[in-house]
Amino acid sequence: MKTDELEKNLGLVPAYNDYEINNIVTGFTSDLLSDVMGNADEDSVLITIQAHKNTIACCSLAGITAVIICSGRKVPQDMIDAAKDEGIAIFTTKDNQFTTSFKVHGIL
Amino acid sequence: MKVRCDLHIHSCLSPCGDLEMSPNAIAQEAKKRGLDVIALTDHNTALNTPAFMTACNKAGIFGIYGIEITSSEEAHVLALFKKPETAVEMGKLVYKSLLSGKNDPEKWGDQVYLDDDENIIGEVEKYLTGGASIYSISELLEMTLKRDGIFIPAHIDKPQFSIKSQLGFLPDEEYSAIGLTKLPPIMELKGKPFITNSDAHYLHNIGDRSFTLDIEDLSFSHIKEAIVRGKITIN
Repeated sequence: MKTDELEKNLGLVPAYNDYEINNIVTGFTSDLLSDVMGNADEDSVLITIQAHKNTIACCSLAGITAVIICSGRKVPQDMIDAAKDEGIAIFTTKDNQFTTSFKVHGIL
Repeated sequence: MKVRCDLHIHSCLSPCGDLEMSPNAIAQEAKKRGLDVIALTDHNTALNTPAFMTACNKAGIFGIYGIEITSSEEAHVLALFKKPETAVEMGKLVYKSLLSGKNDPEKWGDQVYLDDDENIIGEVEKYLTGGASIYSISELLEMTLKRDGIFIPAHIDKPQFSIKSQLGFLPDEEYSAIGLTKLPPIMELKGKPFITNSDAHYLHNIGDRSFTLDIEDLSFSHIKEAIVRGKITIN
């Protein structure tokens, strides 16, 4: 599924517009970024509450192309800047990680 | 001149710190163990640093006033300052930002702070190690450097609450130095200087790990400069 289809189908809120559109194959849910680094698949969407720029560095190293920040947490500007540089989309949702994972799994 | 330093020590204000760890007892013990420079670094608060300053002055040891902060990544970092007032002010911002519940002293230990005469003057309500601050490593670094402090990611090689355990890589930031528990470093430190500290929670652990600094003069600014420039020997 394409990144913009994920946004539309799940009613996600993009943290910035004109993000790079990639093919999303699977998802990974974790708030422990060393776990993400070690175990996430490439071309996944990361479901997490870790809203800071180190999440983007981690996604970049793991080959993740989109992040969903859950539970309505705010996305800081330096995270958005890093995501733009790395071509990683960021979305926010009010849902928690469980509900988001369920929804993502349902449409992938 | 060469000075022996241990810049990561907890007092009775940390829930995991032994109640015997009064600022006075820490300063006396550190002096006895041949340390010249020590820093008090309780979890997410600096309310014991004013009493620690008096205790260090009394013991004739150089005191540094710090906080061990849990970043939003849940990594522990040290912010060290010249004056207790600065540490207390930064500590208040950090404490306010803590996503933590109420402490249960029966379960997790007491969180008390003392006056110069070791009287308990208060108890901290939020559980100090029970949650992360909303500030990220880079935000905490900026807040620390803005106050002319020293910023050191603590024990980055520990299996929990470390940069290694939380992120798996070392973000490229303007750290003053990197804290390690073991040598050689298990991660690429990108040329940054490194130190080792005891992270003592009990009196008998003070100085268990330490380092020696080659400094021009015993002052906070010279200590900071020597750390940043890597004039460090690990003991």
